[in-house]
Amino acid sequence: MDNDKQQFYYDDVVTRLVQFSLIWAVIAMSAGIYIAAELIWPALDFGQFWLSFGRLRPLHTNGIIFGFGISALMATAFYSVQRTCHVPLFLPKLAWFCCYAWQVCILLGGLSLLAGWTSTKEYAELEWPFDIAITVIWVCFGVVFFGTIANRKIKPIYISNWFYGGLIIVIAMLHIVNNLALPVSIDKSYSLFAGAQDAVVQWWYGHNAVGFLLTGGFLGMMYYFLPKQAGQPIWSYRLSVVAFWAFTYSYIWAGPHHLHYTAIPDWVQSLAMVMSLILLAPSWATMINGIMTVSKSSEKLRDNPSLKFIVLSLAFYGLATFEGPMMAIKSVNIVSHFTDWTVGHVHSGALGWNAMITYGTFYFLVPRLVGGTLYSVRLANIHFWLALSGAILYILAMWAAGVSQGLLWLSIDELGQLSYTFNEIMASMTPYYGLRLVAGLLFFSGTVLMTFNLFMTIKGRQTVKVNPPVVLASREATA
Amino acid sequence: MFYFIFIGDMLVMLFMIVLVVWVFTSNSDEATDKVAKIPLEDEQHHG
Repeated sequence: MDNDKQQFYYDDVVTRLVQFSLIWAVIAMSAGIYIAAELIWPALDFGQFWLSFGRLRPLHTNGIIFGFGISALMATAFYSVQRTCHVPLFLPKLAWFCCYAWQVCILLGGLSLLAGWTSTKEYAELEWPFDIAITVIWVCFGVVFFGTIANRKIKPIYISNWFYGGLIIVIAMLHIVNNLALPVSIDKSYSLFAGAQDAVVQWWYGHNAVGFLLTGGFLGMMYYFLPKQAGQPIWSYRLSVVAFWAFTYSYIWAGPHHLHYTAIPDWVQSLAMVMSLILLAPSWATMINGIMTVSKSSEKLRDNPSLKFIVLSLAFYGLATFEGPMMAIKSVNIVSHFTDWTVGHVHSGALGWNAMITYGTFYFLVPRLVGGTLYSVRLANIHFWLALSGAILYILAMWAAGVSQGLLWLSIDELGQLSYTFNEIMASMTPYYGLRLVAGLLFFSGTVLMTFNLFMTIKGRQTVKVNPPVVLASREATA
Repeated sequence: MFYFIFIGDMLVMLFMIVLVVWVFTSNSDEATDKVAKIPLEDEQHHG
């Protein structure tokens, strides 16, 4: 145990990753606001290709998922894996490499998207040089994470590490397989897959990126930081383990629900629909587990903005994971597919779940990292209401737009011809898109407030040094 | 195809049942409680 007293957790890299994550949130959400405005005023591209919707949209999604999301997941994985293993990070210099190399890769990747480099695969638009770079950095991330687990001082591997581990392994598998391609120049490659197979592989990747990154990765965050903030162990640890394996087993099958009524085999579509419905069970088990954990310390919700964000994120998680399986039902999907309902669903997860749980975690984490108090609790509370109103308004606007679109696409006259043209339907969407822009501005302004608040909290402070706990030998033996 | 999906679904159910039985029998309540408390006891001090 003497060695423990001389060791510190490596948290400097965590602080830096949080800062990068905040910067990416502002950049990527700005792009989102701009393209939301372009859908109302198309002339906002000013005739510039790099300002067009087609180039800014992947910048928005890649910036949010890979810039904001992965930076936050790396930060929280590095923070929690040390603590749940009672050892400092394995190869901390490699962790620093992951931190900076990832930012450079995503920054250059974002610029390449603006320049028109694209593989055309949704959420995997970056061309082959970036795919290789991402693979190398991701392997380094895995080495640091699993190396820390291998060095652990206590035998059990806490549930958050199972989710982070699942994130690292499955995303590596998805990323490599989906991006198998033949390069023909520095900025162009062709996928090894074609036709329906290409579509199946793409949505095997696309949906499981949602599953193991935007759901599983952030569940790892939830399982560590929710008990920490609530001051309570998770309500049912056993339920969390069952949910993890059920989630992992079920999710991997669900991708083809993105391809209902296409050229892929009908049984593949039906299988994906069934597995999507099964997913409701582990998803809601997790939500109930989280809510029950907070219920034991509900008094903290009055004055703890970070816990409020996390509880709200669980509510949105429940909403999104109910809506997803419903949209995977073929008879519902015939209305919802290719409409803004899908955009609303994605944002109920992205804004309500991913962003909110990250915000709640950051409000808790940053003051602890620098050994201070939050610069302004009042600003954090204002942020909470801006985020809540923005997310709800966004989802409602897109639900209304999407259901309208779906029903209007399907509407036929007495001669069996389409009742409305595409242009007529899109022209009627302007009020909904206006509401979406207002919603986005509300959410974005809250994010800017948080960024200011957290940077002011960090300003002039250094990351504090924290020791692993002294664990009794008898406990180690029984753990 | 019907039997393929039917047998597949039965295998999924078997997996879930074995999983639940394993999780609830592999560790004592005391050991599980200790694991659940890991995040609450993971820092020596905070400067």
